[in-house]
Amino acid sequence: MLKMQNISKVYRTDSVQTHALRDFSLEVNEGEFIAVTGPSGSGKTTFLNMAGLLEPFTSGQYTLDGIDVGGLSDNQRADLRNQKIGFIFQGFNLIPDLNIFENVEVPLRYRGVSAKDRKRRIDECLEQVGLASRAKHLPQQLSGGQQQRVAIARALAGNPRFLLADEPTGNLDTLMARQVMELLEEINRNGATIVMVTHDPELARRAPRNIQVVDGQLADFTLYQGKPESGVASSNTPLKTAEV
Amino acid sequence: MLLHYIDLSWRSVKNTPVISFLMVFAIAIGIGITMTSLSVYHMMSMDPIPHKSSKIHYPQLQVMDDGHEWHSTDNLPNQLSYQDAVNLYNADIDVLSSPSFRTGFSVHLNTPDVKPRMEPARLVNTEFFQIFERPFIYGQAWSRDAQDNKPYVAVITKEINDRFFNGENSVGKEIYLDNKSYRIVGVTENWDHHVKYYDVNNGAFNKAESIYIPFSIAPLEEVGTWGNMNGWKHQALRGYKDLLTSEQLWTQFWVLLETEEQKEAYGNFLMAYMEDQNARGRFQRETFEYGLRNVNEWMEYNEVVSEDNRILVALSFMFLMVCVANILGLLLAKFLKRAPEVGVRRALGASKRQIFLQHIVEVSVIGLAGGLLGIAVAQLGLWGVRTTNSYYNALATMDWSMLLAAPAISLIASFIAGLYPAWLVCKTQPAIYLKSQ
Repeated sequence: MLKMQNISKVYRTDSVQTHALRDFSLEVNEGEFIAVTGPSGSGKTTFLNMAGLLEPFTSGQYTLDGIDVGGLSDNQRADLRNQKIGFIFQGFNLIPDLNIFENVEVPLRYRGVSAKDRKRRIDECLEQVGLASRAKHLPQQLSGGQQQRVAIARALAGNPRFLLADEPTGNLDTLMARQVMELLEEINRNGATIVMVTHDPELARRAPRNIQVVDGQLADFTLYQGKPESGVASSNTPLKTAEV
Repeated sequence: MLLHYIDLSWRSVKNTPVISFLMVFAIAIGIGITMTSLSVYHMMSMDPIPHKSSKIHYPQLQVMDDGHEWHSTDNLPNQLSYQDAVNLYNADIDVLSSPSFRTGFSVHLNTPDVKPRMEPARLVNTEFFQIFERPFIYGQAWSRDAQDNKPYVAVITKEINDRFFNGENSVGKEIYLDNKSYRIVGVTENWDHHVKYYDVNNGAFNKAESIYIPFSIAPLEEVGTWGNMNGWKHQALRGYKDLLTSEQLWTQFWVLLETEEQKEAYGNFLMAYMEDQNARGRFQRETFEYGLRNVNEWMEYNEVVSEDNRILVALSFMFLMVCVANILGLLLAKFLKRAPEVGVRRALGASKRQIFLQHIVEVSVIGLAGGLLGIAVAQLGLWGVRTTNSYYNALATMDWSMLLAAPAISLIASFIAGLYPAWLVCKTQPAIYLKSQ
């Protein structure tokens, strides 16, 4: 699904050169659920931006669903984002002027989906996240957890095969976080590949596969052979470290 | 998608009412000022008779002694002497032509019931009505026979007919010009064009004449001109007869030349005429030249639209540009504040082009609203212009083309203002804003 080889990202100013990612290589298979952890400033979000085609990388090779994205134009990257990738952000990033229905509608409009199909798909997605009855509400009329579920519905609306979540529970209390995590797991069970950046080790342990980013490099990763049986993974589950 | 963009624009306007109002107001003021000056300029400079302006010509003759200068760009006098006007009209050449000059009379019905009133009048020949396509309500132009043999006939306009005859058919009735009675043969519509292009010498925007009588009345009644009279040599004029045979230039002349061949032939005729007059000893010249300009060329030659008008229009457009610069600043602030939302849209698959279009549509909505409000401002401005002088009554108005031009200019101005902010916001890197929101 996703294959990064020796990806580097360098931010340059007149006097400073910052390596956000260095020789970053990673392969994510179809249907995987990966948690990305690491200290602040380690490059997690940069990795997510590269993976989501939100920023170009400086060097390396990145193949998404068999497409070498290195040579794509800005518009082609936008198309690919729209077709294959769904985003879930820590701050929800709902558009405040649009109601819930219209927020979920945004990616479908850019895809050129007909009004009838849009409505059907939005109803399905809002039903899936349990917010069908709130379609006409504005984001600010919902709780944080509800807003994040709307963001998930929006990410799901275009039927993406690849879901990127950046601290999806970062702004939520424990109960809300658990609900969102359960929703993501359900989405993953339905076939979507999920890469989730998180600071929360408990949430990370719920993902079948963990990777850690330190100083812009993949430091180690943990591969669970199966999903944890309970809602939250045991905190003393051994980590398996490997060179990439 | 366009409707969606319009919907988003409307929401944006509603969500930022103050800044949106400021932008609409700024563009409305700019458009209002621009359209006020542009409308006056447009009315001044528009082709007054588009289907025929290229065929109606004004001849000029170089009939001064060598060494004399005229105050025109090509040294050609812009009026004819009476004798030249009569000679050109009576020449054996198959074209429609008419001499004319402006005068005025005390108009009355020779009854104590109706007060006499001074009215401008024009002496013309019967072809004048045909050349300038004057529409008749009653009757028709006088005949060539009446013009030559029974010239005390008149064509009056609707205005005079309404005032003296209550709008009834007055053909056959008598009207008095000074102390002479004239039989009315026709009633025309009022001259409804704002430019009196058939006589720009005597003020192209002055009130048109409301009474027409035959040119042949001039020697009979010794009718004086109400217009300009110029001469190039000193001649002692002891009476009206001397004026008619003098080199004083005070009549206008129009000729209808349908084709280029006709125009060329008429030019040759004018050259032959001048050489003939020179041979008769009227003046001494080595070389001869003539002018033969159509209506628009004649208006341009006489600078009906002055340089001042053009400068005024240019200044008003510069003022519009100042408004555009202000709007550009406001748009920059507004659009850049929305960068986080744009970042989300870009992440969700919007291309730069789609973001650009969304913002250009918003700018267009503002521009259109500004344009419509600008029309109201322009109407106010034109009303102000009209109140300064009745001279502007017909000029300070907006015709359909100007009413349509206002929103079009407003849209163009708003595009200019919106291009850079829209381009800047469409270049938003989504990654910058997604984490920071």
